[in-house]
Amino acid sequence: MEAYLNKSIKEVIKEFPPMEKILDEYGIGCGPCAVGLCLLKDIVSIHNLPAEEEQEMMGRIAQTIYPGREIKVPRVQRKTEAQPKEIKYSPPMKKLVDEHVLIKRWLALIPDVLKKLDLQSEEDWQLIREGVDFIRSYADKFHHAKEEDILFKYFDENLDILKVMQEDHKTARNHVKTILEALEQRDKETIVRHLSAYRGLLTEHIKREDEIMLPWMDNQLSLSQIGDLFSKFNGAEEQMGFKPQKYEEFINRLEEKFNRKER
Amino acid sequence: MNRFEGCPGSRMMAFQEKGKAAKETTGKIQSQLRQWPIQLHLISPTALYYQGADVLLAADCVGYSLGGFHPDFLKGKSLAIACPKLDEGQDIYVEKIKSWFDEAKINTLTVLIMQVPCCTGLLNIAQQASRAAKRKVPIKSVVVGIQGEILKEEWAAA
Repeated sequence: MEAYLNKSIKEVIKEFPPMEKILDEYGIGCGPCAVGLCLLKDIVSIHNLPAEEEQEMMGRIAQTIYPGREIKVPRVQRKTEAQPKEIKYSPPMKKLVDEHVLIKRWLALIPDVLKKLDLQSEEDWQLIREGVDFIRSYADKFHHAKEEDILFKYFDENLDILKVMQEDHKTARNHVKTILEALEQRDKETIVRHLSAYRGLLTEHIKREDEIMLPWMDNQLSLSQIGDLFSKFNGAEEQMGFKPQKYEEFINRLEEKFNRKER
Repeated sequence: MNRFEGCPGSRMMAFQEKGKAAKETTGKIQSQLRQWPIQLHLISPTALYYQGADVLLAADCVGYSLGGFHPDFLKGKSLAIACPKLDEGQDIYVEKIKSWFDEAKINTLTVLIMQVPCCTGLLNIAQQASRAAKRKVPIKSVVVGIQGEILKEEWAAA
């Protein structure tokens, strides 16, 4: 069993496909992950399930690997015991989670934006342009840069979870690059395909960060590091001279246009 | 009716249970205090040991209730103590804490209070100072039970 705990999730699922469904039943949606480098033991630890649920899940995993055999299920090591479902973030993590809210409001608007998209109309063309500006300036330069340039530096760069997150950021940037090129060509099909893919990617990415990565990081960092991180986030925001209000107004305007309120 | 019964902060209680041996820690416990003075009226908020520090603001009673005060909370931090119920001149406290944020540029503030209702006043003073300050820092609130147990530990709103 120990040997499988130290294997990547991709390898384990490849060898035992029912594992994906078992993990999914316990709210661990790592099965479809494109990278899948995280070790099974890290995935179990990071999701921080209540002890009984974890034991039950590990029992089912053991039965999938060794059907009919009695296997001693090891308790996965973790720094803290399972927490109640409501997540309390430290102030720097809360900053990131609050920024996710505006990004999620944009993601929720994308189907409406794409539904009747007419790139021959100047208004719709401009709307995509502004949407891409939101992604590049707010979601990427303002938000992802804080994660990559500051937050991730507190951890071992070889951690699988960081690699997965950085890979997501890279994939998102590639979608945006393609959307911008397609915009110049007024190529609606490509824009619809890549903006929809961006929406799917970021929706999952933010969920993983909010529910798994950020609470896990909060548990790993000392009080002193939390203070330092908060100060560096504030310093970076000041240095960027960035005005997020412009992007909040953009999202408000779109929600009004499409008659949506996602707050 | 005992005249102290109305206020949870002053209600008389005895904790030592008959026949229950108290658990004792043997050996000398190292003090983690690294400064003097410590009373909030006496300290200078811009003293060198507050600059960029993780600061602990503890209610007076905490030091006597919490068995692990030195190793678990004071270690690595600069300290100030105060009583939000009995101390006078609390507007000066607000100014001093504000000065920790803006001038001493402290890294974090941990407010360690007792579970009795009056003690929440110390957290309120810290939050009031934070709202008035230009620079924000993470504030952690820790509530200690009257028998020395940690009841709650959470990030407080600035």
